Amino acid sequence: MRIIDYIKDRCWFYLTAAISFGMMLLFLTAYCVSVQLIGCISVIYLLFIIIEELIGFFRKRDFYSELSEKLEVLDKKYLIHEMLQKPPFLEGELAYDALCEANKSMCECVAEYRRSFTDFREFIELWVHEVKLPVASLQLMAHNHKDELGDKFMEQLRRIDGYTDQVLYYARSENAEKDYIIKPVSLKRAVANAALKNREDIQLAGACIETEGLDVNVMTDGKWLEFILGQFTANSLKYKSPDRELAIKVSAEDMPDKVLLHFRDNGIGIHERDLPRVFEKSFTGDNGRSYAKSTGMGLYIVKSLCERLGHSISVSSEQGSFTELTIAFAKNDYYLN
Amino acid sequence: MSKIYIVEDDRSIREELAELLRNSGYETDCLTDFSDSAAQVLAARADLILMDINIPNLNGEQLLKEIRRETDTPVIMVTSRTSETDEVLSMSYGADDYITKPYNPTILLLRISAVLKRSAGTASVQTYSGLQVNDAKGTLSDGSREMTLTKNEMIIFRFMLDRKGMIVTRDELMTALWDNDEFVNDNALTVNISRLRSKLAELDCGDAIETRKKQGYILK
Repeated sequence: MRIIDYIKDRCWFYLTAAISFGMMLLFLTAYCVSVQLIGCISVIYLLFIIIEELIGFFRKRDFYSELSEKLEVLDKKYLIHEMLQKPPFLEGELAYDALCEANKSMCECVAEYRRSFTDFREFIELWVHEVKLPVASLQLMAHNHKDELGDKFMEQLRRIDGYTDQVLYYARSENAEKDYIIKPVSLKRAVANAALKNREDIQLAGACIETEGLDVNVMTDGKWLEFILGQFTANSLKYKSPDRELAIKVSAEDMPDKVLLHFRDNGIGIHERDLPRVFEKSFTGDNGRSYAKSTGMGLYIVKSLCERLGHSISVSSEQGSFTELTIAFAKNDYYLN
Repeated sequence: MSKIYIVEDDRSIREELAELLRNSGYETDCLTDFSDSAAQVLAARADLILMDINIPNLNGEQLLKEIRRETDTPVIMVTSRTSETDEVLSMSYGADDYITKPYNPTILLLRISAVLKRSAGTASVQTYSGLQVNDAKGTLSDGSREMTLTKNEMIIFRFMLDRKGMIVTRDELMTALWDNDEFVNDNALTVNISRLRSKLAELDCGDAIETRKKQGYILK
């Protein structure tokens, strides 16, 4: 709070004070009071105004400058009232009380939404586990009564399973609680599991998979990593080039401070314009519009999962020739040695 | 014939699972009354137990703990809960494997036979009609001649040897190969099988692998 602003704010008071001072001078002159006395009264009057204003200014300045300073440095600004002392003047007290009141009400409101969000998320998780039972049952039936329809049913059931997994991991990626376990995971095992899970689809597409240097352990959650690799595979299958056979190459690069996992395909690639936005929620881009139906959620979920696990993910691509996704797993000497 | 005990409260899955296992040459038995599960599971004296986590009364993890107090029978946990936490917990209670629903039936069968084999402690050298099969060296020999198999050929031969006299589908062979990080395609499988055949022929077992049209192969 600057003094100039305070004076500007108080101009009505100064105006009334000046008018009353003028009128007082007028009356004092009219009653022929001696000039010395008028001077004396004027000085006392002015001194009173100045002292009163200075006291008022400093009392308020202490409170408001503390308020704005703390507001500046606070990252959760709604907690400001916790950081302040109750001010010693009426307006401040009123504002302070109102702030506390508003805050309390906001907290209740947020808590209510948090509760309902958690309930919803728990229900989704429960529902996904429930819906997997009939899917498992149908898969067994399709396998046991294999005729020409069996494989077709299997294919559709895998789709259902894929979509439910997306929901499950979306709910998990938005969750604030820790429901993953970081432990050493063999990249070879994770890639094999993900490939095995999608084997039929990969073979239907006539794709071939090549691996290189996967004999390395990384610190991550195995299940989450398999889901992430499954999403990559699904994308490669969806956006394969019509002119050539799909080839997927999964390779790992062991560096002193991290392990890089590259997932590269020779599909249609991503337009340069769309590249920075592929991890955004609901972003479909050119490919999503013109080739396959896309929800724009796959890579967004992947990105959120990576962020939660503490991995970084990046994409590079050239339209018409390749797409490469890279996950960087940080190494932690404490765990690995 | 190995006996597999199924602990699963979803009736439809239980029945289909039993059928799948019977079709693959296992004897099966199911738990239907969950009031005294531990005693019943133990009384069945199975060679392997397939167990769901979400079952009435005792849940799967508690049941596993009870069973482990009495016996070392291999247990595979089968559950719809896809989470590393459950897996780590189950493994720490002494489960031998952990599979999430919905599972690919072929993969499930593969895991079952792997666990059974592990618990039986099969030696690394086995014989097939006079041929010595050496896993570690990756060779077949009839005493005088030795034939080296590639990794893929060995996987295929082992898989068929474990199911000697039964039809093995291409789907199953493919799953076995992919499970061993050999991501081959359809053509490569055909090539591998014909190479394996010609190698067997050189050891005078030319007609060992028979093709059953639209079904698969059979090792006689």
